[in-house]
Amino acid sequence: MATVTYDKASRIYPGSERPAVNELNLEIGDVEFLVLVGPSGCGKSTSLRMLAGLEDVDRGRILINEKDVTHLPPKSRDIAMVFQNYALYPHMTVYENMAFALKLRKTPKSEIDRAVKEAAALLQLEEYLSRKPKALSGGQRQRVAMGRAIVRQPQVFLMDEPLSNLDAKLRVQTRSQIASLQAKLGVTTVYVTHDQVEAMTMGHRVAVMLDGVLQQVDTPRALYDTPGNVFVAGFMGSPAMNIKTVPLNETGAHFGALNIPLTREQVAAAREGGDGKVTVGFRPEAADVVGESADALPIVVDLVEDLGSDANVYGHADLPGGSERFVVRTERRNMPHMGETVYIRPQTTALHVFNAGSGIRI
Amino acid sequence: MTNLTTIPSAGATTAEPPAPAKETGRRVNPLGGVAHLALFLWALATVGPLIWVALASFKTNEEIFLDEPFGLPQSWAFKNFADAWSEAHIGQYFLNSVFVVLLSTAGTMLLGSMAAYVLARYRFPGNRFIYYLFVSGLAFPTFMALAPLFGIAQAMNLLDSFFGLIVIYIAYSLSFTVFFLVAFFRTLPHEIEEAATVDGAGHVRRFFQVMLPMAKSGLVSIAIFNIVGQWNQYLLPVVIMQSEDKYVLTQGIANISVSAGYQAEWGQLFAALTLSILPMIIVYAVFQRQIQAGLTSGAVK
Repeated sequence: MATVTYDKASRIYPGSERPAVNELNLEIGDVEFLVLVGPSGCGKSTSLRMLAGLEDVDRGRILINEKDVTHLPPKSRDIAMVFQNYALYPHMTVYENMAFALKLRKTPKSEIDRAVKEAAALLQLEEYLSRKPKALSGGQRQRVAMGRAIVRQPQVFLMDEPLSNLDAKLRVQTRSQIASLQAKLGVTTVYVTHDQVEAMTMGHRVAVMLDGVLQQVDTPRALYDTPGNVFVAGFMGSPAMNIKTVPLNETGAHFGALNIPLTREQVAAAREGGDGKVTVGFRPEAADVVGESADALPIVVDLVEDLGSDANVYGHADLPGGSERFVVRTERRNMPHMGETVYIRPQTTALHVFNAGSGIRI
Repeated sequence: MTNLTTIPSAGATTAEPPAPAKETGRRVNPLGGVAHLALFLWALATVGPLIWVALASFKTNEEIFLDEPFGLPQSWAFKNFADAWSEAHIGQYFLNSVFVVLLSTAGTMLLGSMAAYVLARYRFPGNRFIYYLFVSGLAFPTFMALAPLFGIAQAMNLLDSFFGLIVIYIAYSLSFTVFFLVAFFRTLPHEIEEAATVDGAGHVRRFFQVMLPMAKSGLVSIAIFNIVGQWNQYLLPVVIMQSEDKYVLTQGIANISVSAGYQAEWGQLFAALTLSILPMIIVYAVFQRQIQAGLTSGAVK
């Protein structure tokens, strides 16, 4: 029941020249699950904390439901936050932890009780209500932190890497729980993570940030299929996309002996500011391993990762500019051996072409 | 390891001598034994006089000085205690001490923790200055302050009043209390405070309902320190408290040793000393149990 708008919001830490968040423009729709993702130090957490009111907004505005909250204290914003380390009150029981915010709002006792019990039931915490946080496991603490946010019935949920302290298996499990919980409660959610798998699987839309600047916002699928620039292309997807900057000619990109054909428009666009080069990327699964052939790229295999379902083949090719590393995904039955030379041919329909100078998609 | 050392190092030019055999396993540190012995002697040196005082408090002057200064008393009579309590007015002084220390420790803890919290957690111009002002009190010898303190106390009508003594105790204790608690508050996680902020708690509630309970172990430590320090304080009350009925315990005990003229009642003196030591031991035993290391465990991560 709420929208969130960042309107050219910037945060410049005192004593620092470069903004931690630089003119962030972002519209988050009602009931949307938006994931902010990026490498550490990219400003994603700062953006979230600006929305929470824990961080000043130096320039621009932040709106919740069309209402300017830029200079409102956190408690007047009607938001609830889940912290990375949960930040539970250690001296209070699970029940008191969840009831604290409602108590401060002078909610009647019976209503607090109902809200806490309801949230506890939703999160399977009923039997732990009288325990202190230190007597809980990591996963239970994480659920209490969620419960503390849920009982508030806020307009917006803010989550700052809530899964990063869980072990791998629990993380996957909790990931889907949070996503379905959000769908059930229908509360607008802003979720920060550095894990692109979390971003891809949980978000309705994903916003990728780098160095305080928003790179691209789109659905996970669109980000994966049509990354807007080289950084997004390299960041989303695992193993990462093969991205190489190679010489450009009239008809395409030169990968040593292999010429990857580009359209006339692409060549024209790559010429501008590209200094005779073009950046071409293809995902590991968008290349075929073929027999020895003149129009395929020979790769010496360095490492093979057998994933059970398929395999990632890591290798290097000697290009005119020097040795370059490549990754391809192959079926398990034609897995090559280390030291072997395989020939790969990128699928021309799944190529990502970027301007070598600006890094922007062509 | 054994292989390496038995093979003659043919052609090996490195001058490294083989490591002494059997050094890596469980070995007894000879210094550990010495350390334990030293600790034992120190414990004896600390506890010995206490026990001697406790024993002497049951003895008469003759027993203490002539018969057997280190033996057990001839009778376990509490006459010395009774005499000290009523005749030497130790009972009155005891209550005075309890009253003063109770209020001054409470005041020190309240003001000290509030000041320390603000100094540790809020950024504002002058923060450092105020902090160092508090801490500089640590470096200032009490003796040098006595004369001006007397003048100030006189001017402010604080002489010979419990209120005056309490205020001076608080001022005197704040230096170390603030110094200690600032360091302690800095170690507490910020996220919990932020969580409370998002939950809607204001500055006051955040301090009293969230941060203070988390700081319990630090508060208990410094409270014990203050109680013991203020209970044993002699110099300040000598300057401030002049009428005999307002003496605190330390003054009262000193009074026994000088007021008896030719012959001090040593038994009584030691009984009074024992009475003054006991509460501290009790306070220590009770509070110590409440210092739970890792009280904040479970809060984060």
